[in-house]
Amino acid sequence: MAYMSMGEAHRRITDYLNRFSDAVSSQDVASLKQLLSFSSNSPSLLSLADSLNVFQDANRLIKQSDNYSPFADITVPLFRSLQHYRTGNLVDAYLAFEKSANAFIQEFRNWESAWALEALYVIAYEIRVLAERADRELASNGKSPEKLKAAGSFLMKVFGVLAGKGSKRVGALYLTCQLFKIYFKLGTVHLCRSVIRSIETARIFDFEEFPKRDKVTYMYYTGRLEVFNENFPAADQKLSYALINCNPRSEANIRMILKYLIPVKLSIGILPKDWLLEKYNLVEYSNIVQALRRGDLRLLRHALEEHEDQFLRSGVYLVLEKLELQVYQRLFKKIYIIQKQKDPSKAHQMKLDVIVKALKWLEMDMDVDEVECIVAILIHKNLVKGYFAHKSKVVVLSKQDPFPKLNGKPVNS
Amino acid sequence: MERRHHSQSHSQRQQRRNHFSSSSSSSSNQSRSNNRFSFPKSSSSSSSSSANDVRDRRRETQEEKQEEAIVGTCPFMCPEAERLQRQRLRDLAVFERLHGDPRNSSPALAVKKFCRTMSAKEVRASDVRPLPVLEETLNYLLSLLDSTEHPFEVIHDFVFDRTRSVRQDLIMQNIVNDKAINMFEKIVKFHVISHHKLRSSCSSSSISPLHYLNLEQLTKALTSLYNLYEANRSSKPIHEKEAEFRSFYVLLHLDSNGQPVGESLSLWFRHVPSPIIKSKEMWFARQALRYFQMGNYRRFLSTVAAEASYLQYCIIEPYIDEVRSLALCCIHNCCYKLHPYPLGHLSKVLMMEESDVELFCNAYGLQTCIDEVGNKLLPTKQTTFCRPKGGLQNYSFLGFQQLGSHMLSSLFYNHFLLVPMKPFSHVDGWN
Repeated sequence: MAYMSMGEAHRRITDYLNRFSDAVSSQDVASLKQLLSFSSNSPSLLSLADSLNVFQDANRLIKQSDNYSPFADITVPLFRSLQHYRTGNLVDAYLAFEKSANAFIQEFRNWESAWALEALYVIAYEIRVLAERADRELASNGKSPEKLKAAGSFLMKVFGVLAGKGSKRVGALYLTCQLFKIYFKLGTVHLCRSVIRSIETARIFDFEEFPKRDKVTYMYYTGRLEVFNENFPAADQKLSYALINCNPRSEANIRMILKYLIPVKLSIGILPKDWLLEKYNLVEYSNIVQALRRGDLRLLRHALEEHEDQFLRSGVYLVLEKLELQVYQRLFKKIYIIQKQKDPSKAHQMKLDVIVKALKWLEMDMDVDEVECIVAILIHKNLVKGYFAHKSKVVVLSKQDPFPKLNGKPVNS
Repeated sequence: MERRHHSQSHSQRQQRRNHFSSSSSSSSNQSRSNNRFSFPKSSSSSSSSSANDVRDRRRETQEEKQEEAIVGTCPFMCPEAERLQRQRLRDLAVFERLHGDPRNSSPALAVKKFCRTMSAKEVRASDVRPLPVLEETLNYLLSLLDSTEHPFEVIHDFVFDRTRSVRQDLIMQNIVNDKAINMFEKIVKFHVISHHKLRSSCSSSSISPLHYLNLEQLTKALTSLYNLYEANRSSKPIHEKEAEFRSFYVLLHLDSNGQPVGESLSLWFRHVPSPIIKSKEMWFARQALRYFQMGNYRRFLSTVAAEASYLQYCIIEPYIDEVRSLALCCIHNCCYKLHPYPLGHLSKVLMMEESDVELFCNAYGLQTCIDEVGNKLLPTKQTTFCRPKGGLQNYSFLGFQQLGSHMLSSLFYNHFLLVPMKPFSHVDGWN
């Protein structure tokens, strides 16, 4: 780093402060945003940090000037935060930034129009990201990570500021999404409930008014919650909305949506094409789709085992495990088709022993009693139409549509 | 007088505070720190950045001081003042009465009652029992489970309340070490056993309040236990019995369509450490879940008979009835009318004594019949099939030995609990 003179440092600091007060007085949110975005690591912010280290009396400078002192509550802690950020003390950087953000919110409240909304977004984003890094620092020092939780509380407060009748309310969804990201990361997903309730039931909010980008993110997270709670129709609706409205060029986001949408679609009997899985690198689902197509129980079990950790972490394991019944249905259907080719008049009668043999071929050891049980369950859940005869150990299939399709509904429980 | 066992460093205290305290108390940290200090607002003073740093640091230590846990000094199972007061007021449980006298107790019999306190600040150290006393108290309480003088509900009621107070004392003193884990494991075991025994004695179809409240505390104690496991992760990656106690959560939530108590299972699994997921106990629970969700009554019942530990059985018992109900429903509705189902076979499927099977069918409005050689059969597709109006009585479960009540306390002191029950000997062909 080239040596910076005191004069140069002083100049850069006053430069920043001028830009700040100009941005506010002319309501120039584009400029204001840039002054707050630490994580952008812009050269001007970095050199400002260096300047603050050289010229150590910035606070006096701020307080003594009529131009700068109105925003002292914001800029004084902001500068402190920036210095900590520069030296890698993320915990202190977070604490100071939160203080600055708090002061910013107070000012924001007083501004009549919503001109500064995008600057608020930047602050919300920075709070979350700084808190995440602060927690990493705490954890690596053997301390308990608690800043992200604090960030969640803080952003709830900000949400409250936006949840009013004025034009600022369209910002609420962005805040909601930041909160979702925090809660999902912390694992305190149940906290999403109250903020969802505010968005969906409060009369001041009209969902259609929110920016599209925020709606997509919102539907993605609420769709995931529906997947966790196994409400497949609702999950399908929300994740599909997110997919349709997502920017087609952001492949990473599409992939994230598909990761959850695919298990949901599978559960209602809709299979993705192979090229989709390949294009978005979701090949962990390939074998499962194949198993469903072929009625291959062994392949399903194998696929679940192979990616067990991954599926458990993302929370889709139990959903995929449930596909077993559909795979059984497919297997029985294949046996039926083969029998039909051999002797159409007798095809609708399937000996349980034949099924036992087919399963043995798939390396699945099941006795005829268990097969009877599976048959009974499939009939009970309307995956097979017909009945079984216990004494003759035969399942008699309905002549019409013996293997009803799911038709977009999950297997009834 | 007992002091905490190892000297706590600042970071350890912080760790404990966050892992062990309930979410409400940690969020109140935020507001408390804002209200407590009346420093002048920064805009009016010419504070430099270093002063702010000092203020921040001082705030942290102040926050800590008010979270400093109590160290209990009460040497008895019940604080003397409480015992004397309850003697005066004749508020003594049967187990606390000296020679049956409702006005007299003794330090050997009186046990501190559970009482909601507003905050730790209102409590005196002399009312809180230190760890060794709590351990003795718990052992004493659990020994009462063997008593044959009183009906189980009465014993349960007393142990339920007094163990709740033990838990409270542990939490108030922020005791989070191995011994706390041990105690919570025993308390969970008590609730699990009660879950089973209270159900047996309940005849109505609605869950009795005792049973419901017990389930509530079971869930709470289990959650505290999981937090303890997490808090001790650095000193002990996996605890000896953690896998079994984790499996209880899965078994309590087999029915995903029931009231979601706590997190959904999909969410819950995300945070379970990998070695636990791969453990034998968790494998059993996951298989039970898989078969239950699928409706594979055959495998569900046979797997439970073959692999469930006593405690796992206690938890899964309500689901056994549900699965049997499903099995009967499937067989009755899907089986060919001209081939009545042999009761002997049904007994194998339902894992129930044949005599009970007949009663079971009758409870569902179904009649059985006998063929020419004397075999009992269930005709299918009867029009009288209906859900039982009252609750179901208790039926046998093949392979499960009912534990005599005199053996209950032994469950807490040896590894008997991990031994699976013997599968029903003359049933063959089970996978």
